[in-house]
Amino acid sequence: MRAPPGLLGPRGPLPLALLCLLAAARGSLADGQPSASPFTSLPTQEEMTTKNSNLSLTTKYSNLSLESPNISLTASSFTSLPIREKMTTKYSNLSLESPNIPLTASPFTSLPIREEMTTKYSNLSLESHNISVTEHSCVPVEKNITLERPSNIELICQFTASRDVNSVNVTWKKGDELLENYLINVTGSIVYAQYMFTIINSKQMGSYSCFFGEKKEQRGTFHFKVPKIHGKNKPLVTYVRDTTVLICKCQHCSPLNWTWYSSNGSVQVPIDVQMTDKYVINGTNANETRLKIMQLTEDNQGSYWCHAVFQLGESEERVELVVLSYLVPLKPFLGIVVEVVILVAIILLYETYTQKKKKHIDDGKEFEQVEQLKSDDSNGVENNAPRHRKNESVSQ
Amino acid sequence: MTPKPAGPPDGGWGWAVAAAAFAVNGLSYGLLRSLGLALPDLAEHFDRSTQDTAWVSALALAVQQAASPVGSALSTRWGARPVVMVGGVLTSLGFVFSAFAGSLLHLYLGLGILAGSGWALVFAPALGTLSRYFSRRRVLAVGLALTGNGASSLLLAPSLQFLLDTFGWRGALLLLGAVTLHLAPCGALLRPLALPGDPPAPPRGPFAALGLGLFARRAFSVFALGTALVGGGYFVPYVHLAPHALDRGLGGYGAALVVVVAAVGDAGARLISGWLADQGWVPLSRLLLVFAALTGLGLLAVGLVPLAGSQEGCWGALLAAAGAYGLSAGSYAPLVFGVLPGLVGVGGVVQATGLVMMLMSLGGLLGPPLSGFLRDETGDFTASFLACGSFILCGSVIYMGLPGALPSWRPAPGPAPPPPESRELLPVLPAALLSSGGPQSTRDTSC
Repeated sequence: MRAPPGLLGPRGPLPLALLCLLAAARGSLADGQPSASPFTSLPTQEEMTTKNSNLSLTTKYSNLSLESPNISLTASSFTSLPIREKMTTKYSNLSLESPNIPLTASPFTSLPIREEMTTKYSNLSLESHNISVTEHSCVPVEKNITLERPSNIELICQFTASRDVNSVNVTWKKGDELLENYLINVTGSIVYAQYMFTIINSKQMGSYSCFFGEKKEQRGTFHFKVPKIHGKNKPLVTYVRDTTVLICKCQHCSPLNWTWYSSNGSVQVPIDVQMTDKYVINGTNANETRLKIMQLTEDNQGSYWCHAVFQLGESEERVELVVLSYLVPLKPFLGIVVEVVILVAIILLYETYTQKKKKHIDDGKEFEQVEQLKSDDSNGVENNAPRHRKNESVSQ
Repeated sequence: MTPKPAGPPDGGWGWAVAAAAFAVNGLSYGLLRSLGLALPDLAEHFDRSTQDTAWVSALALAVQQAASPVGSALSTRWGARPVVMVGGVLTSLGFVFSAFAGSLLHLYLGLGILAGSGWALVFAPALGTLSRYFSRRRVLAVGLALTGNGASSLLLAPSLQFLLDTFGWRGALLLLGAVTLHLAPCGALLRPLALPGDPPAPPRGPFAALGLGLFARRAFSVFALGTALVGGGYFVPYVHLAPHALDRGLGGYGAALVVVVAAVGDAGARLISGWLADQGWVPLSRLLLVFAALTGLGLLAVGLVPLAGSQEGCWGALLAAAGAYGLSAGSYAPLVFGVLPGLVGVGGVVQATGLVMMLMSLGGLLGPPLSGFLRDETGDFTASFLACGSFILCGSVIYMGLPGALPSWRPAPGPAPPPPESRELLPVLPAALLSSGGPQSTRDTSC
């Protein structure tokens, strides 16, 4: 690919204005990290790789020869570093024929190179992550990074040294494995260690650590993980012969594929949708999946696992299903109904009892009143005696 | 010979009726409010939106309030007890039916229509009967019964969550069916009471039973219109107070605190206002007017508060406004039912209660959607609260037309002691109670 016209000549340092433009353009890239990178020099030797989404060319393989010794680049993030040997051997049979590679501060610098290689990583985004480690940090400094798609990565650790800055020893490790090809810069009393690489599959995921100091006591760690998916925190309670839907969601990501597993003991068994029509898997959009189970039986109870497959790995989540028979709530239901019937009976019986009592008293009172009236009506005293006797005999 | 019916017992079995009304209130409105907890599970199971499931509660509430006159009509015809017991069984059947729902439609039918109708049959008769059992302490008793709402929410909300976690939504609805069956014993407690003001024969024909004739009385019509207007604004805070607090930037717990302050103020004020009203220092209609106006002003304050002051001032001012609203709304609630005997006589209380519920439901159906619409148009709830505050203020202006509401309406002391039921409109000593009722008590007592 030819270099686009209008590029600066290859010799001499880049003008300052273009440096600012570069810094500004870099700030607009992914991750919003501080825009000025402290790295300003480039090994002027053979390898030069530039990995940037806006560059139309990247080459990164050590035994490719690049015949352009006078390349100097003053804007850091677009400089590149010699790459680990593992990756270089992959492309050892590619050759680079571009003797005069001009490089400008523009992020759209391009280099003449063969077409197969140009598009390999040029369309990957660059993510830049930053950690600051101080001498007195007792807690290891960590940063969790969620990555879904292959990307170019730039990791920067900045270490604030209180002692002699230049004597600080910096190393990078992935897990236990020592890494090479990183850059160090010292500005004032801060040591900047930068490591750039590309993550294209799950093997490159993991934890990357930068170590400072003789005994490697200060360190910062970047953890790369695939996005987490979310199911339901509580068990889903359903009933026999009912239909239910198990849902797994991913907030801000789109997995390539979702799969469901049911658990048989401690083994995860994939769910075969074609075999029976008991299970249906569908999802309304890419970031969610639904497993619909019909005609539930008590055997369907247990844990279900949903797996989200990304280019960089897999993420899984567990959903718990409980299947009850109708007898389970029916027993308390009947108990309460019986209690209500008893309450109603008690209330009505109590009422009839008190009313009967009241009626009895009222009848008695009324009768006495009537008798009292009758006795008041009469004038003669002589009639009282027989009446009294009559009253007594009747009221008893 | 049958003894002449005595006046309201003002105690005795009345307290059992108060307990029954308390439970009825709790098992109808309180349960309806807590039902919102189950709606997300339903939305997930039937794969429908939150709005669709919200219609279940809304439909139940609408049916309950709109069909209230039917409940009161039936209880005028057959007595409150059988109607409430049947209503309880109906509600319970609605819940049991919805436990087996295969689609959201079944829930609309089961919970919305069936349970809603059951609730319609229980609330007005229970409250009406309670009003009949009390005279001197009537508003206090009604206030006590109306706190059943809040108490039940406190109890039912965590229990419902437990049921949902243990039995799923189907089992929870089934067991709620058993819980609502307790409306039947509540109904059993509503012993029929014969009072002096009762019409001699049960009304003939459905329209007479509905009590539409009550509208012919000027005082009741004034009251009805005022209450319908108040209803337009009264229910809005139930729905929109929390979102309004969130809009003002209060955060989840801050908004919950605002709602709690309003609810606690509401519950406490119901009791206090009930007690206060029964002392007889101020005519009930005047208290009604005052508290309605205060509720309207409280809502205006809630809407206007954050326009002045900073973020910190926001907190305190909004809490104070919410508390003021809660206190006045709570004071207003028992008075709505407390003034009814004075307006229509004890004979018409049950029917009047049903009609009042229906009128408030009209407002309840229009108010929150209007408030939501204003919020969508203007971007925040200020306009909504101003609108519902002004509805309530309009209603209280109309209440000025009630007898006894304004001081100039107070009549000169007449030669004859006023009948017992008019006592509520004039500050007369309770001793007047013991005078015989007679046909005057059912007449309108406007001066």
